[in-house]
Amino acid sequence: MGKKLFWKLIFSALCFSLSGYLVGQSSSAPSSNIANSVGPGYEDILRGFDDPSRWLTFSGDYSGKRHSPLQQITPKNVDQLRPVWTFQTGTTTRGRGFETSPLMDDGILYVTGSNNFAWAIDARTGRSFWQHRRDLPTDLTYGASAPVNRGFGMLGNQLFMVTLDAHLVSFDRRTGDVLWEIQLADYKTGYSATLAPLVLDDKVIVGISGGEYATRGFIDAYDPATGEQIWRFHTIPALGDPGSETWPADPEVLARGGGGTWMNGSYDPALNLIYWGVGNPNPDYFGDTRLGDNLYSNSLVALDADTGELKWHYQFTPHDLNDWDSNHVPVLADIEWNGQERKVVMVGNRNGFFYVLDRVNGELLLGKPFTATTWAREIGADGRPIVLNDGSKGCLPDPWGGTNFMPPSFYPGLDLFILTARETCATFVPEEPRYVTGQSSFGGVVFIDGEQGSGALRALDVHTGELRWEFTYPSPTFGGVMSTAAGLVFAGDHEGNFMAFDVESGENLWHYQTGSRIWGAAATTYLLDGKQYVLIPSGTTLTAFALPD
Amino acid sequence: MIFPSVSFLRNKNRYQYSTARSVIAAAAFFFLINLAQAQVVNPLASDPRAAQAGGAIFRAQCATCHGADAKGIDSIEAPDLTLIWARQTTTEASLFKTIKEGIAGSIMPPHQNPDPEIWMTVSYLKSIAISGTNETVVGNAVRGRNMFVENCSSCHRVDGVGGSLGPDLSSITGRRSLASLVNSLREPSSAIGRRFKPVSLTTATNERVQGTIKSEDAFSVQLMDREQVLRAFNKIELIQFTREIDSLMPVFSEAALTETDVNDILSYLQSRRGRRPSF
Repeated sequence: MGKKLFWKLIFSALCFSLSGYLVGQSSSAPSSNIANSVGPGYEDILRGFDDPSRWLTFSGDYSGKRHSPLQQITPKNVDQLRPVWTFQTGTTTRGRGFETSPLMDDGILYVTGSNNFAWAIDARTGRSFWQHRRDLPTDLTYGASAPVNRGFGMLGNQLFMVTLDAHLVSFDRRTGDVLWEIQLADYKTGYSATLAPLVLDDKVIVGISGGEYATRGFIDAYDPATGEQIWRFHTIPALGDPGSETWPADPEVLARGGGGTWMNGSYDPALNLIYWGVGNPNPDYFGDTRLGDNLYSNSLVALDADTGELKWHYQFTPHDLNDWDSNHVPVLADIEWNGQERKVVMVGNRNGFFYVLDRVNGELLLGKPFTATTWAREIGADGRPIVLNDGSKGCLPDPWGGTNFMPPSFYPGLDLFILTARETCATFVPEEPRYVTGQSSFGGVVFIDGEQGSGALRALDVHTGELRWEFTYPSPTFGGVMSTAAGLVFAGDHEGNFMAFDVESGENLWHYQTGSRIWGAAATTYLLDGKQYVLIPSGTTLTAFALPD
Repeated sequence: MIFPSVSFLRNKNRYQYSTARSVIAAAAFFFLINLAQAQVVNPLASDPRAAQAGGAIFRAQCATCHGADAKGIDSIEAPDLTLIWARQTTTEASLFKTIKEGIAGSIMPPHQNPDPEIWMTVSYLKSIAISGTNETVVGNAVRGRNMFVENCSSCHRVDGVGGSLGPDLSSITGRRSLASLVNSLREPSSAIGRRFKPVSLTTATNERVQGTIKSEDAFSVQLMDREQVLRAFNKIELIQFTREIDSLMPVFSEAALTETDVNDILSYLQSRRGRRPSF
């Protein structure tokens, strides 16, 4: 290379980074001044999509709607969408997915991957600034069979990530250096952690995985500055505490009662309530040693954000025998309900039902099946499902459920809840487990009829639960959903397609084969240099799409 | 040649090994390794209770991913464990190692169970292996070869020769029982392999295509047509697309192939079993 060319390159690189810097500055909020590096604060997260150049929390805002106001990509031009860059993680998780939701601030993406890898990536080029790889123990328990992660939490210059050995780690977002780490629980018992931490003004809220083992679930709040625990809510009560009457009066049974909290919750700042889904009771399929409803397994809990105190709960699947964890993103919206403005929380549940609840008091407003489930077809006047088939009649939805943790989306105005549905057929055969520390205790086996599975993207009218439209997939699918105010729905499927649909008709408008199934992850979108980007993780890649110039 | 493997010892001052002593040490080291490897046989192989106990361990620890019937779950890439013994590389020792250490880069985790429990699981998996045609088929293999070429080889390969519309049959008697093979000849539609499901379609130019489906997503379908050409279609461009019930394989009734003919063909296939194709 000639000297002249060398300096030319240096000069243009400088100009490019400076221009990028200036554009980044002009389009970002005043509080996010990277020059003095304060980073986004609680107020910025609270503003959610008001600043579409950012994506600061798992769902983009606290409500869990995963609905962006961006309108540059429209139903008319979406067929022009092209990949701009692809980032390769170099870490594989055959059998599972790349389940993260990247955070975005000031042109930089903060991304977590499988096996507790993590990166800061230039959102313009897909090149990385730093990579972190956690030195994990070789005797992981649940973490070894699900070595996934769903994303960072972010506050100021700190990032927060949970780990497969059940720790919470804080990083410096500029370097990837670890600032502090604390243990959530002993991974050797069966605990692990995979969700994206929920960051409030002065707290980092996390949950725990491991309900397939003799564990006891919890939701924790930690001080972002020090990692000191502020409160812990146990999802399985102690003997004598409220809820323990729904279990045998045996402290050992309660101590291994399960109730994982492994998927992200949502937050209502006005009510100061956190909404969080709770997983299956343990053992998963064998219920004879845990007679009763087994609260708060398979429930949605509303907790006071300051104290962790339980305000209300609703149990979707009492005395679950099918591993239908209720670990979903709770979707908060204010909608008109029978002529009244109601603050609601919506859940598309693994048991195949769609629910609308009043999020102030937990009152059930609607519970309707969105799948062909044979388990139940209606919710009784007492708010409990009228169970028709507990599994003994065969062909129940499989343990992965009528949907799962893949994020759904809510489209305001049209009041559509758009989710990925799975239609499957399984037979459950319970068997009393033996308990060995560090070994799973499913309590039986499941025969899944592989010939009968299919999937669909479904749009439900939230007022009635009725199906407005669907797009079918050849196999049961795990891809998540995002919508944008231009009238678009983005979704992924098990065959690897990343797709865009018209929200009113359900018509497929665009698709791109990513080369690996889209599992657990949903799209994110943001504005950068005046251009709307859409991101999707798939297999070992993260791909950014935009319209041509 | 001097063994380089002991050079790290020289980095430490207290170990001043001469080259000769190094060689002896290395030889002893490799001897022990070999000895250890020689001991990697299932110590419970002769104990009939091992498979039963292994079944309980399998149901508790493995069935969630591999299925209660061990036949695997496609959606999470968990393989069919009843077929692994048909692979020439599978041994009891290799299976023990896989269970103990897991498969890096996948959701197959390492297992901390005590070694005897892992051996019990190996015994169980051995007990449920698809055992193939155990009895020797009485037939004329030479005549069977001719019958095979005449009736089967336009679609099936043996030892690298023949068609590809149906499965390669070179080692089929190692995986399927005599009864099921006869059934496949007499009633080919009763059980069709996953990658050989029949489909038919009509293109926009009114071309009728029949074939076996290899792959499919919401937008496209990949198949092998009757002429054994790999073809792909966008579903939106098709006038008709149907998953057929009847296999593309013709029904071989007694009139078409007598019992003697069938036995001769199976005898031929059994005679090829275990042979490697010559390329």
